[in-house]
Amino acid sequence: MIPYQYNLRSIWVRRVTAIITVLGVALVTAVLAAALMLAAGVKKSVSVGGQDDVAIIMRAGATGELESGVDESAVGLVLSQPGLAQENGKPIGGGELLVVVALDKLGAMGFSNVNMRGYSDQSLKLRPNLKVVEGALPKPGTDEAMVGRGILGRFKGLTLGDQISVRKNRPLRIVGVFEDGGSGAESEIWADVNTVRAAFGRQGGVSVVRARLASAGGIEAFRAVIEADKRLGLKVKSEPDFLAAQSEGLSKFLTIMGFIVSLFFSLGAIIGATITMHAAVAHRTREIGTLRALGFSRSAILLGFLMEALVMTITGGAIGLLAALALSTTKISMMNPATWSELVFALAPSPQAFITAGIFSVGMGLLGGFLPAVRASRISPLAALRS
Amino acid sequence: MSAEQSKSVGSAISIKGVVKEFTRGGQTLRVLNSLDLEVPEGSFEALMGPSGSGKSTLLNLIAGLDKPTSGEITVAGARLDRMSDAEITSWRAANVGIVFQSYNLLPVLTALENVELPLLLHKMTSAERKKRAQIALEIVGLSDRMGHYPRMLSGGQEQRVAIARAIVNDPKVIIGDEPTGDLDRNSADEILKLFEQLNRELGKTIIMVTHDPEAAERATVIRRLNKGVLA
Amino acid sequence: MNLPGLAVRNIYRNPVRLALTVAGVAVALLTFVTLRTAVMSWDEAKNYTLKDRLVTRHKITFVMDLPKNYADDVRDLKGADGKPLIRASTFLNWFGGKDPAHENDFFATIAADHNTFLTVYDEIKIPDDQLKAFNETRNGAVVGDLLATKFNWKVGDNITLESPIYGLRENGEPWTFKIVGLYSTTSKAVDRQTFYFRWDYMNDGVRAEAKDRVGWIASRSVDAAHAAEVTAAIDKRFDDADTQTLTQDEASFFQGFMGMVSSVLAIMSYLSYIILAILGLILANAISMSVRERTNEYASMKAIGFHAKTLASLILTESTLIALAGAIPGVILSYLIVDVALGDFLEYNLANFFPVFRVKIWTYAEAVAAATVIGLFAGIVPALTVARLNVVENLRRVA
Repeated sequence: MIPYQYNLRSIWVRRVTAIITVLGVALVTAVLAAALMLAAGVKKSVSVGGQDDVAIIMRAGATGELESGVDESAVGLVLSQPGLAQENGKPIGGGELLVVVALDKLGAMGFSNVNMRGYSDQSLKLRPNLKVVEGALPKPGTDEAMVGRGILGRFKGLTLGDQISVRKNRPLRIVGVFEDGGSGAESEIWADVNTVRAAFGRQGGVSVVRARLASAGGIEAFRAVIEADKRLGLKVKSEPDFLAAQSEGLSKFLTIMGFIVSLFFSLGAIIGATITMHAAVAHRTREIGTLRALGFSRSAILLGFLMEALVMTITGGAIGLLAALALSTTKISMMNPATWSELVFALAPSPQAFITAGIFSVGMGLLGGFLPAVRASRISPLAALRS
Repeated sequence: MSAEQSKSVGSAISIKGVVKEFTRGGQTLRVLNSLDLEVPEGSFEALMGPSGSGKSTLLNLIAGLDKPTSGEITVAGARLDRMSDAEITSWRAANVGIVFQSYNLLPVLTALENVELPLLLHKMTSAERKKRAQIALEIVGLSDRMGHYPRMLSGGQEQRVAIARAIVNDPKVIIGDEPTGDLDRNSADEILKLFEQLNRELGKTIIMVTHDPEAAERATVIRRLNKGVLA
Repeated sequence: MNLPGLAVRNIYRNPVRLALTVAGVAVALLTFVTLRTAVMSWDEAKNYTLKDRLVTRHKITFVMDLPKNYADDVRDLKGADGKPLIRASTFLNWFGGKDPAHENDFFATIAADHNTFLTVYDEIKIPDDQLKAFNETRNGAVVGDLLATKFNWKVGDNITLESPIYGLRENGEPWTFKIVGLYSTTSKAVDRQTFYFRWDYMNDGVRAEAKDRVGWIASRSVDAAHAAEVTAAIDKRFDDADTQTLTQDEASFFQGFMGMVSSVLAIMSYLSYIILAILGLILANAISMSVRERTNEYASMKAIGFHAKTLASLILTESTLIALAGAIPGVILSYLIVDVALGDFLEYNLANFFPVFRVKIWTYAEAVAAATVIGLFAGIVPALTVARLNVVENLRRVA
């Protein structure tokens, strides 16, 4: 092996080009890591708070709550099935109605869709983390509403004490702000289920039924009962499964986009590293010849130069990761195609993002350094004698 | 040519009380100490001296590549110590030709194009440029190597191209910085013969720094510099 | 020989580096063009929208529908002078149909009033005999030619679709359609992958409470120049009704949709700037390296009498030329990969997102201009270094 100081010093000698190369790799790594953290952020914010023992009963063909519809008569039927947790002799569970309202964005052009959930007191029992952090819980049966922390202030009317109109002369007043442990509900407006029904002309039913199972393991038995009744045309999903499906489209989109973009970007960084290493080798032909003459093997030279490239790209990778981490406090608002609504989330640092970005930066070093390193290893000891 | 005659012709280079100091690592080093020098027009002079004697510094001052700490320098009628960098650069383009030890030809240009290079600094048609460069190459005896790149030429030939480049502007003064330092004896002799010819036939004032006593012998005047003072 | 000529020769001096730099610039520009085109094509789609085509929908949300009689009211709307404001109007419903055979392929299924729909969407072209069949077949459907090719559907095929919105037909039967025609379009405003069927067939089959409801009303104003006033007039017409409306011209409607994807567009824009930064780094690296290797040459040129300005411009010429040398293959590559290959692929497979995915001349110009300017900037630091070069020290270094 060549003493590592030799290659480290050579980086220092060519520090301007080395810094340029490191910066290029840092940019690529930051983009990739940010994309993966974005995807993780979507997953996290959508699926956070999913409970194994909560079942969601929805229309068989529906992929999301918005598409689903459950008749009022079916709600009672579902809740009367065995296998549900009981409280005071009644099952814990109830219907929820999910609709979208178009609201004007604040600080950006145009309007966007926001989910509004009609809920009952049962819904609150199914979400133990939900708590009102400002204002008060809306009084049942009134035109009061509360807004999730995530979209608070992002749309016209969504501030405490303000109001949004859902039908003529019946505005919903925002009386509370709630948090739900960072779940997707924080991107929703919540109002009494009967209020929402009336406002949206959906008296006949709800979107889905949520219910707590007696035990998490009981879901298969419960599903078998519900899905056996073809007249109902309903299906049962556990809350974590349902939520995972809700984020799948968007997080997959972000992941794939991230990879494609980073792949193209990394070509630039690899070429940058190759240019730098190529010059490093060309400039040191005589030195390398001397090393060979002193008895260092071809593979020692090859490894030495690969190391030199790797030191640069791994440094760049580390800087890129730090840059992506610095972004993780920013909140991003994006439309989730699964709900047709804005989802507000933050970049979530995930082990996958770190590992993938790390592998990427090592890969860029290996690819960028390989050809120059091979060239270096082929330099003849005779080169030492030439001027 | 006697000293009397040349004085009547006038001075190509006139240096009065020149001091040159360098500051390195907080210490001031006086390389030239109140130096006076008169080089008459049409003189061919060799400047000798041990390493560190200040001969290269003196040459750089004459070529306008560097400025004195104090004192007067007049070359080809111009007061270099009073001129700005840009003025000196333009002046150099018209009035001096420099021949370096390591030739310093541009590797991407042919012999002819290397000679043409300084002419780019003057308003001239490309045909005229080419013609003048050809003449200069003929003078140095390389008319058969015009299309060759520097790497295809021997060291002596490269230096002759460099000389052609130095004279193509028809400067009054030619400055040589160890012009034969990298050459073998035969090539060195050819270069020195060329210098003699330029001095004799074209009346160029030539001043060259050299280590080589044989080269110095070919000059009409030999000056020795020691510790910043002319002997 | 002249100075630009010298710059060109300096470029060719290190062929390996030149090739790498050109490849780097080309790939970076390809990425830039792809990202810009993605952003622009969404913007571009707006240009195909019609100012005089108005869309009227429920004021609060797109999931709620309107009474069918609103469509008549819109059609009959008159101005203060008693002249009609609307020259054509139709009504449509989003059916949300899915083909069980193509579970994972999304396509739009829309119930449209067959009597009026082509008067509003006159870019849709259906052969006369097929149009006749559509008018005569109650469960008839006309399908975009691209969608038909994709699913291998032919005229005469019977298709059963499921709708999570409407469930089964009222009588418990599935929704079965007969494909009676294929449509093409004369404008990119209408995609070629939609499944249109007759509104009356849908109205027959839905439950009582959903009958005679329309998802949205599309109309054409008599005078495109006064579309804004007509828009206001329509909404004013229903201002006192229980259900109020929101009417937008097609361009504004599209802009509203853009609002929903604005964060994706913003991210793509940022990315296109990042790739330009990477491009700048590649160029800066290559040029500063080349210049450093030639320090003594610049020193001797200075000694000969070349001014700092001349040398700096020599270097700037070189760096700009390298950038251009990469920009040209970059543009050719972009044309082949983005415009020809990717454009066809996306317009065919992802028409809902990218109705048009073609590189605009403007984007090529932007790419070349960006590369040139970045090339110029990449040369600034090396050019300044050479301009400030100390001749004496650097000539010494050689010897």
